[in-house]
Amino acid sequence: MTISRRVFVKSGGIALFSVGLDPLFLARAALGLDRLSPPSTALSRPILVCLFQRGAVDGLNMIVPHGDPLYYRERPRIAVPGTDVVDLDGYFGLHPRLAALKPLWDSKRLAAIHAIGSPDATRSHFDAQDYMESGTPGVKATPDGWLNRYCRHDREHQDTPFRAVAFGPELPRILAGSAPSLAIADLQAFGLRAPQPAARDRLTRAFEELYAGSATGLLSTSSQEAFQAVQMLQRVDPTQYQPANGADYPRGKLGKAMLEIAQLIKADVGLQVAFADVTGWDTHVNQGASEGQLAARLSELGQALTAFAQDLGDKLDDVVVLTMSEFGRTVRENGNSGTDHGHATAMLVLGGPVNGGRVLGKWPGLDPANRFEGRDVAVTTDFRDLFAEVLARHLGARDLSTVFPGFTADPTRFPGAISG
Amino acid sequence: MKTRVLLAIATVAAPAGVWAQHAAPLLPRDSASHALNRLAYGPRPGEIERVARAGVLRWIDAQLAPDQIDDEALAGREREFDVLKYDRGDLARLYAEVQRARQERKRMGDTAADKPDDSPVAVKGRRFAAQVQQLAVVRAALSQRQLYEVMVDFWTNHFNVYFAKGADRFLTPDYIEHTIRPRAMGRFEDLLIATAKSPAMLFYLDNWESVAPGASPPFPLFARRRGGQAVRTAPKGINENYARELLELHTLGVDGGYGQHDVIEVARIFTGWSIRRPQQGGDFEFHDWAHDTGDKQVLGTEFERGHGMDEGIRLLKLLANHAATIHHVSRKLCQRFVSDDPPDGCVDDAVAAWQRTRGDIREVLRAIFHGPDFWSTVNVRAKVKTPLEFVVSAARATAADPDTTPRLAQMVARLGEPLYLHVAPDGYPEKEDAWVNSGALLDRMNAAVVLAAGRLPGAVATLDSIAPVTADPQQLIADIDDEILGGTMSENTKRVIGGQVSDIKDPVQARALAVGLAIGGPEFQRQ
Repeated sequence: MTISRRVFVKSGGIALFSVGLDPLFLARAALGLDRLSPPSTALSRPILVCLFQRGAVDGLNMIVPHGDPLYYRERPRIAVPGTDVVDLDGYFGLHPRLAALKPLWDSKRLAAIHAIGSPDATRSHFDAQDYMESGTPGVKATPDGWLNRYCRHDREHQDTPFRAVAFGPELPRILAGSAPSLAIADLQAFGLRAPQPAARDRLTRAFEELYAGSATGLLSTSSQEAFQAVQMLQRVDPTQYQPANGADYPRGKLGKAMLEIAQLIKADVGLQVAFADVTGWDTHVNQGASEGQLAARLSELGQALTAFAQDLGDKLDDVVVLTMSEFGRTVRENGNSGTDHGHATAMLVLGGPVNGGRVLGKWPGLDPANRFEGRDVAVTTDFRDLFAEVLARHLGARDLSTVFPGFTADPTRFPGAISG
Repeated sequence: MKTRVLLAIATVAAPAGVWAQHAAPLLPRDSASHALNRLAYGPRPGEIERVARAGVLRWIDAQLAPDQIDDEALAGREREFDVLKYDRGDLARLYAEVQRARQERKRMGDTAADKPDDSPVAVKGRRFAAQVQQLAVVRAALSQRQLYEVMVDFWTNHFNVYFAKGADRFLTPDYIEHTIRPRAMGRFEDLLIATAKSPAMLFYLDNWESVAPGASPPFPLFARRRGGQAVRTAPKGINENYARELLELHTLGVDGGYGQHDVIEVARIFTGWSIRRPQQGGDFEFHDWAHDTGDKQVLGTEFERGHGMDEGIRLLKLLANHAATIHHVSRKLCQRFVSDDPPDGCVDDAVAAWQRTRGDIREVLRAIFHGPDFWSTVNVRAKVKTPLEFVVSAARATAADPDTTPRLAQMVARLGEPLYLHVAPDGYPEKEDAWVNSGALLDRMNAAVVLAAGRLPGAVATLDSIAPVTADPQQLIADIDDEILGGTMSENTKRVIGGQVSDIKDPVQARALAVGLAIGGPEFQRQ
C-alpha cells in the first residue's frame, strides 16, 4: 500500500499511520516532525550524498598509479610526477591537489575504487551518463533513475519532502521517477518571494490552491512537493547558517551545493539522498599534470569534500559521499596534451561508515594486453556492485532487484567500501 | 461506430478539414490558440482572435514563408543591440583585451581573482555576452516570424555549442547570426555543412585541432602560454569528438547503426577541417597538411584517398540524406511540435515529406502541421513549456516590449536554461521531466508575479491590452482567461483568483495579482 507522506505532513500528526506500517517507521516519522524546529542529534539516520563528475574524469590522474612506469611512458606530458603524488599505498597516490583529503584517508574515512565502470562499451557521454543514472547499462528505455527507484522501494523514510534532493536547477536523470524528489537551485531563495512575510504567505497559499485544484500530471506532484518543502524550510531558516569547525567551502557551484547539503543534514529535515553535479572533467585538450585544468577541478573537489567533512564533524558518522563519473579516459595522452574518452575510471567513497584507507577493486594494470580494446583501463568492478553495496550496507536497502533490474546484487562481488 | 460519425461531423466545423480520424472538434479559436502555442511563443493579447478570423491554416502557411512577413518593428529593436555591430574579429579583439587587462591586474598584485573585473573593457565584454542572450529572448518575443524564431531555437539546441568555452566566447554570436539563422528554414543538408564548417562548432568539439597521426605543419605552430610568452606547440593528433557527436546527435542518432570504427573513420575524414587563427576570430580553413591521406570507409561506403576536403563534404551529404538521420531529426521535430512522445504517424509524415523534398525543412514542418496528430485533442496543451518558452510566452501574454536590458534572459537562466550555455552537445532537453520539478515551479511562480507587477526593468507589462482597470473581478477573470489562457482556465483557477482579488481595493494591484497568478498557475505552464 502506498502511503503518501504528503497526507502525513499536512495532517501534522501520526494518527493516519495506523495502517500496516512497522513501529520503527512510526517512531521515526513522529520524531521527524518533532525535530523540525530545534535540530537535535537524538536520532541518526544514514545519508547518502552522490556527486556526479560529468564529462568523464581521468581516474588515472585522480588516483595515480605512480608505481607503474607504463603510466609515465604513456603520458609524457600529463603524468603527475612521482615527486608530486601524495602516496597512498606505495603504488597508488592522490593527485597533489587532492592532498587535503589525506587526513580522511589516514583516519580510514576515505576509500577509492579503481577500474570501476560500466559493462557497456559506449564512449558517448550521454549514453554512459544515462546508463549510470538509470542504473541499466545498455538499456535506453528505462524511464527512471536508480536513486529514485531506491526511494520508491524503501518507503521507510518517506516522511519529508527533503528525503531526496538534487542541488541544481534541474532534477537529474538519476532522481527522475515517481518517488517524490526535489531540485533546489538555491536553498536561501527557495519558495515564493514577497516584500513582507504576510504577503509571501498569502501568495504561497494562493498558488498552492491553484495547483492543488487544477494541475495535472507531473505539474501536480511537483507542486505538492514544492509547497511542503516551503513549509518545512520556513522553520529551519537557512539564511542563518554558519559552517562549523572553521570549514571553508570553495567558491563556485560545488562548494555551494556541499554547504547546502551540510545545512540540510544538520537541520534534520529528513534528508536521506542528496545529489549534485560537478562539471568540467572532459579534458581532451591541455589537461595538465600537477597543475592545469584537471588540477583546478580536483582542487575544488578536494576542498569541497574536506570542508564538508569538517563542517559535519561527528555527523559524518552517518554520511557516505559517493563520487561517480560516466567513464574514464584513454591511458595514453592524445595529440592535444589531453585524453579522449576511455572506459574504466576511479570513484571515491567518503564518510564515517566507509571502510577507508584502501584502494579497492581489482586492478587490471596498464599493460596493453589487459586493456579494454587495447587502449583503456578495463572495467573490473561493475558500478552497480559499488552502488548496490552502498545502498545495502549503508542505507539498509533489502531488495535491490527493483533498484537494478536485470542485475543480481551479489555481496561477494561488493568491493568492500562500507565497513560491515 | 457512432463516435466516429460524430467526429466526422465535428471535423467539418474545423478550419479546413485537414485532419481525419483523430480529428477533434477544435473550434477556430481553439485551433488558433493551439497553433500560437506551438508554432509561436504563445499569443499576444488579441492575437488568438486575429488568427482565428484570418484562418489558422492561412496563418500557418504564412509562417512557413518567413521572408514574406514584414518584421520592421523587430529590426528597429535589433538595431539597439550594439553587439550586432561587432563581427567575430572585433569580439575576439575585445576578448583579448579583457584577458590582457586581467593579466595586468594579476601582475600588479591584485590577487583577488574572484572579485569581478570592473575594468571598462571587462564590463563591455559582459554587457555584450548578456546582449547576445537577451537578443534571443527579444526576437522570440517580438518577431512576427514566430515559427522562424522557434526553428532557430530548435537548431541552436540541435547543433549546440557552448558560449563559455574559450574562443566560443567570441565565435558563438557569429554562429547564431550567420550559420544557424540564415538556414533555419532551408535545407537540412546546407545547415549541416554550414555547422561543420563553422569556427564555433570546430572549436567547441575540438575538430580544429584534429590532425592525422604523424602529420606536422609546414610551419611552426605557436601558442601563447600564461605568461604571454610564445612557445612552440607539439604536433597534434586525431580527435574523435566532433565525429562522434556528428553521428550520434547531429545526424544518425544514437541507435543509427554506426560503431566505434565509423567514428574513427569519420574523424579521419575531418582531419584538417580547422580555423584560421582562431584566437583572432578567423574563418574556416582546410589544412591539407593535417588531412589523413589514407582510404576511409564509413557505414560501408568507401572514401577513396586523395580528395582532401571533398571527402568531408561528400560524407556530410551522405549523412544528411541517410534514412537514420531523416528519422532521427523528424522525430525530434515531432517531439518539439506535437508531443514529448511523438506518435509514429507524425514521424512517418515528416519522413515522407523529407524524402520527397530532399530535406526541405519547411515542407517537413508543413507535413507535421497538416497531419492529424498535430491537431489531436490529446496533444493540445499536452506539452509543458521550456523555461525559454515560459518566459517569452509570459512576456508576450502581458504585451511586454523588452529592450536590451538582459532581465528576461536572466529570468530564463534562473529557471534552468541559460541560453547558449548548455555544456553538453545534446542541447537543452525537450521533454517535460527535465523542466518540471518543485524548485523550478516555484521559480516560475515568482517570475510570473514579478513580470505581471511590472517590476522587471526593460520588460514592462502593459496589462491594459489584456483587461481594463475594472472593479469587477468576474470581468477581469474572463478577460484574462480569453487573452492569456485561450479559454482554458479551470473553474478552480477562476475561484482562487476571484478570492484573491476580492479584498484588494486598488484595481490596478488586483489586476496585476490576477495576471501573475494566471501566468504562474498550472494552465499557463502548458502549451
